[in-house]
Amino acid sequence: MAREEVESEVTGTVWKIETKVGDKVAEGDVLMIIESMKMEIPVLATEDGTIAEFQVEEKEPVAEGQTVVVLET
Amino acid sequence: MAWKKSVEEIRRRREWAMAQGGAPNVARQHDAGRLTVRERIGSLVDDGSFQEVGRLTASVTYENGIAVDATPAPYVCGLADIDGRPVAIGGEDFTVRGGTTASLDKRKGGQGGFSEDLAYEYKIPLVNLIDGAGGSVTSAKRRGHAVFPGVDSFDRSVELLAEVPVVSAVLGSAAGGPAGRAILSHWSVMVDGTSQVFAAGPPVVQRSLGQQIAKEDLGGTPVAVAAGGTIDNAAPTEESCFEMIRKFLGYMPQNVHELPPLQDIGDPTDRIEESLLSVIPEERRRAYNMRKIVELLFDRESAFEIQPDYGKGLITALARLDGKVVGIVANNPMVYGGAMNVAESNKQCHFIELCDTFHIPLIFLVDVPGFMVGEQAERAGVLRAGMRAVYVASQARVPVVTVVIRKCYGMAGMATCHQAGLNLRIAWPSAEWGSLPVEGGVAVAYRREIAQAADPKRREAELEAELREYGSPFRTAEAFGVEDIVDPRETRAYLCRFINAAQGRLKTDIGLKPRAGVRP
Repeated sequence: MAREEVESEVTGTVWKIETKVGDKVAEGDVLMIIESMKMEIPVLATEDGTIAEFQVEEKEPVAEGQTVVVLET
Repeated sequence: MAWKKSVEEIRRRREWAMAQGGAPNVARQHDAGRLTVRERIGSLVDDGSFQEVGRLTASVTYENGIAVDATPAPYVCGLADIDGRPVAIGGEDFTVRGGTTASLDKRKGGQGGFSEDLAYEYKIPLVNLIDGAGGSVTSAKRRGHAVFPGVDSFDRSVELLAEVPVVSAVLGSAAGGPAGRAILSHWSVMVDGTSQVFAAGPPVVQRSLGQQIAKEDLGGTPVAVAAGGTIDNAAPTEESCFEMIRKFLGYMPQNVHELPPLQDIGDPTDRIEESLLSVIPEERRRAYNMRKIVELLFDRESAFEIQPDYGKGLITALARLDGKVVGIVANNPMVYGGAMNVAESNKQCHFIELCDTFHIPLIFLVDVPGFMVGEQAERAGVLRAGMRAVYVASQARVPVVTVVIRKCYGMAGMATCHQAGLNLRIAWPSAEWGSLPVEGGVAVAYRREIAQAADPKRREAELEAELREYGSPFRTAEAFGVEDIVDPRETRAYLCRFINAAQGRLKTDIGLKPRAGVRP
């Protein structure tokens, strides 16, 4: 099992987390939504795997390049 | 058999060259996770196609007038084929004195020299395999004087950029001349972990600024490719780097005096992709995956992204439509809504000039809310950089087709079409445009009216709703202000039709593409 760290592409605020730890996801699936520049920016799974950990909560600010989700692949 | 002895001497000397810098140095190169220059050439070019030139260059030890041993010159160059087409190729041999400059009567390549002259004279692509540290202060001692910058000039490297495709791979730690040479290329690539590139390496940085920094942190791929955009692409291994070089050259003509090569993979021009109807969320604020659209519209697996890790609000890729090479410039709504910042402009300008130079028509996939806003962007000079993208787009002479996927606003929107030419713009039903977005625009234009309203918030919302009505793409199409609105599923067929029709025109434009004027 490898750990895959998924980063936010943008600086913004966590708007909605629509998945939970333990969910199985496929590459390209939406893990959470960041609000930035009046836009809803989905954070997509970078690989197939299982959600191991969230490193942010809803309403929390995130920085570009910050790890927000860890997948087990 | 008069010449047998001399012929034997040729063979003996060629063998010395193959020993490179000696077994211990070759082992050290391998231990560092790197191939030698000869292995690199062998891995990159068509099997057995490397015709070396200058294998006898060496510093030779003589005993009683007989050559007994030799250290080859630290540069290997010649002619080779890549996918059956000739290229000039050259690279430093790091196993010989760290790939430093050899004292030969004529340079073999790297910063002017035989391989570069060969590419220029024969009008064939040039591949530089860079693995050298450049100038050394010791050369002043050898010569007895300090050399003025430019004794090995970059003039030939500059001339080449107008004539033939130039590819550089940084395959070791490159500073100074070799690092500069990598930038004077149409496309450059380096390898994760084993390549670094910088204006000056850690010892010079330490001495100049007192900063202690490891070479990977100073010039590894996260800095040179992702943050700086100094080098275009990163490859996980040397082998994958060579695969990318072959792929890049597959889109390029041999020189600017011919058209890019056709490669028909039999992907039907009228292929209908149902998912194109659902790829754009109806919720306007929601971003989506533009790369998915690229995948669906262009010939299957034909897209090759240039600078994927830099200026990520924009996607630039070479691809094919019905086998013909096209350049894609697509905004990426996943990164700041696709706004154009300085890095995006740098990326777009370089890519458009690359395509224009090699007669590659451009397809814009537009979703741009405008230039990036805010203090940070202004401090970085976003307006000047953004207008440079407008200027460069206006100078392009290749056919341009603009597909408006969603937003097309303001001056950044102007950099996505070719107003000086035919200016063919087709829109998806999800498209919207204007000089600035209704949100924010209303607050400025109707400031007094909103302030004086009984319920200012509500009045602002009413005005926004009213103006958004006019934003329907159908209204603009009625006025021929946009040439067409298409069902997204028809886009591929539409684009193929026009790109096929443009092939004759492309022929009339072959040759040099001089660009007058001063870029902002």
